[in-house]
Amino acid sequence: MANLIEITNLSVGYPGRKLPTLQDVSLSVTAGETVLLLGASGCGKSTLALTLNGLIPHSIGSITAGSVHVDSLDTQATAVAALAQRVGIVFQDPEAQFVTLTVEDELLFGLENLCLPPAQMDGRVETALAQVGMAAYRRHPVDRLSGGQKQRIALAALLALEPQLLLFDEPTANLDPVGTQDVFRLIAERKAQGQNTIILIEHKLDELIHLVDRVVVLGFQGAILADGPPRSVFRDDGPTLIDHGIWMPQVCLLAHQLRAQGLALDPFPVTLDEAEQVLRDVPGALATHGAPPPILQTDSEQVASPQAAPALEVRNLSFRYGAQQVLSDISLRVPQGDFLALVGANGAGKTTLAQHLVGILAAPPGTVWLHGQDLRRMRARDLAKQIGYVFQNPEHQFVTASVFEEVAYGLRVLGHAEASVTVQAEALLARFGLERYARANPFTLSHGEKRRLSVATMLAMGQQTLILDEPTFGQDQRNAEAIMALLRDLHSEGRTIIIITHDMALVAEHAAHVAVMNAGRLLFHGDTRVAFAQPELLRQAHLTPPPIAQLAARLAWQQPGWAGLCTIADATRRLVSLLDEEVSCSEPQIP
Amino acid sequence: MQSFYIASDSFLHRLNPLSKVLATLPALLFVALTTEPWTPLTFIVLTVALILGLGRIPVGRFLRLAAPLLLLVLGFLLVYPLVVREELVRNSPLLFELGPLRVYQAGVIFGLATALRIYALLMLSLLFTLTTDASDFIRALVQQWRLPYKIGYGALAAFRFVPMLQSELGVIQAAHRVRGIADGKGLRGTWQQMQRYAVPLLATAIRRAERTALAMDGRAFGAFPERTYYRALRFHRRDYFFIGGFWLASALSVLVLWQMGLLGSLVLLQQV
Repeated sequence: MANLIEITNLSVGYPGRKLPTLQDVSLSVTAGETVLLLGASGCGKSTLALTLNGLIPHSIGSITAGSVHVDSLDTQATAVAALAQRVGIVFQDPEAQFVTLTVEDELLFGLENLCLPPAQMDGRVETALAQVGMAAYRRHPVDRLSGGQKQRIALAALLALEPQLLLFDEPTANLDPVGTQDVFRLIAERKAQGQNTIILIEHKLDELIHLVDRVVVLGFQGAILADGPPRSVFRDDGPTLIDHGIWMPQVCLLAHQLRAQGLALDPFPVTLDEAEQVLRDVPGALATHGAPPPILQTDSEQVASPQAAPALEVRNLSFRYGAQQVLSDISLRVPQGDFLALVGANGAGKTTLAQHLVGILAAPPGTVWLHGQDLRRMRARDLAKQIGYVFQNPEHQFVTASVFEEVAYGLRVLGHAEASVTVQAEALLARFGLERYARANPFTLSHGEKRRLSVATMLAMGQQTLILDEPTFGQDQRNAEAIMALLRDLHSEGRTIIIITHDMALVAEHAAHVAVMNAGRLLFHGDTRVAFAQPELLRQAHLTPPPIAQLAARLAWQQPGWAGLCTIADATRRLVSLLDEEVSCSEPQIP
Repeated sequence: MQSFYIASDSFLHRLNPLSKVLATLPALLFVALTTEPWTPLTFIVLTVALILGLGRIPVGRFLRLAAPLLLLVLGFLLVYPLVVREELVRNSPLLFELGPLRVYQAGVIFGLATALRIYALLMLSLLFTLTTDASDFIRALVQQWRLPYKIGYGALAAFRFVPMLQSELGVIQAAHRVRGIADGKGLRGTWQQMQRYAVPLLATAIRRAERTALAMDGRAFGAFPERTYYRALRFHRRDYFFIGGFWLASALSVLVLWQMGLLGSLVLLQQV
């Protein structure tokens, strides 16, 4: 048997687009492989996926050159029905994949489309549900499943068709940490069963990479930038990946940082386990003389400067929605100039709390104070002048037909003179790198540009406090970094920044303080490092510490110097400084 | 539609959705033609009794749905006598006069009849909507009445869109409020508001529809001109029994009303 997938000189275009999305791509995958497909946003990963199950060219797009063979079938000459029994794709949005209302109907949908005799369906449905561990949910309405469960059902609906190739296209993008874990377990189970060839498109890599046999990195128009086992790709092509703004495991980023500082790890670690191994033997120094971990503050009250009124203060806020207690007695002080992360699983109450802070939901008098003023007594317009809220989907906030008008809008609401509106709006656009698009419609911008614009509009009125819901959602590494750099700038100007996010690495790297919520309660509010040093707290809030914090926790058993480290920068700095000390006393021991 | 459905395992729930359509259709058409209050009133009583008895819809939940509809009807009753053409009612006693407004007895009765007629139609449709799962209905239409399955399942997928669009609209409204938009007043404000909401809402809807379509095609939707069905829907004995019973009860009610002289004239036959 030859390769399961054979892509030869493939070019793919969509009607209405001048440039082909894929240009002369060749790639083959052997049966049984697990392949991770990486690439910056817009590089054609998802397009490549759709060519494999024949949706390109049968449903959308067109193949302008080359061919795709799956299981020796030419996809252009093969009916979608035949391909559906060979290739199954799990997409990112669990909601949008469902056609029917119950789990059973969802699994039957594909079988009925293939005209299977009803007598055979029962067995297929049962087997598929058992394979994803959801046998007990057969008659469940899909709406009442959690995000992770929905993805399990989406996979089961594909497994019922008994495909050989499974493709996961960002299956965790819309999920909270609990759901993400659930999906990763699911993929691991599939891999362990060994019946499927698996292709993954995903950027949360640290917990997944141990399953991967091969990494394929796509550049512009699907050009293959790197292809090989994870270790050699991340080791040898690291700079290329960083250049193209492509995610890689945190462990690999750490190794590259260390290498840049003169400490090359060998073997180059890819997984947490490997990093633990290699770092355990590296500078024995951390075992003995580690500087004490960074200053730990357990109480947020100590952090706030005693004089200034806090940017935001919440006093005993509770909120019910119908019979459900969404917020229970929340009290929280956010000092001016703070960088706070609001974290917790879906349904923990983060968004509800944030919506009270900007008046989307009306808080009872005396419970929410903005710069010392009771929110309830403020006029909507004054409120909008002081605090901005950036929604997860930037498109929701666009209210005009041009980028310039978007930024000018807030200024006009404030009643500024037209001349000053133009000057200020142009300055803002220049700052956010959007001046080129001043006349474009906001909806035509790229992902990253839309996000920048939505932040810009929220600063137009000179807001001093900014709340952002998942600021890096759906962004590639480079865009994510650009946005966070922007937030750091705003923060260093003295603005108060609050982010709501599921990305713990982001929290570790940028947030000074963290508020951990679970089931409507505030479990913890204090120093970020203190939070990440409490596995019990995180477990209770259904969160997983960022990869570097996990690594540090494992190493800290034997090498106390690791305790409390949770970012790549921290770990690099610590290791390198210790190494320098050692150099001064003895021969360096760089393995 | 989906949001009215109350899941249960009653006699009405177990019926084939199409038999409920067939059973109530003659009554619906007939009531729509009546001009006197008694016929719709009879059908309201009959239908509510069936919903509560055979449909085992909890009285509380039923009232919560049916009572607000009553307000709608009440509004009709109040307005109708004021706007009815005077030459139709001039021969009946004048009830009261308020400036240029004259309210005649016949006007009030017309109003009452129209209000009850609308209410009866609503109740007859509730008998169906409260006890029928929308996806069962579509499946029955496809399997038994030869609705092309691509249209049927397209509609089914669209059902899933309604709650999504609702919550999406909520988010967009909040997002716009945060931008300091004071919602405009009057018709012009509402028009501007709708325009602002329409673009992001449509963008989301189209993107999502595209994704759903891909997910459907990826599972061989539309691959063959026919599909098979795990659950074959057909008429059982209880369906024939229900259709026959409902028709009989409808006919008997009409007959009795006619005998008692309460039927009145029907719109089609009425000479104005």
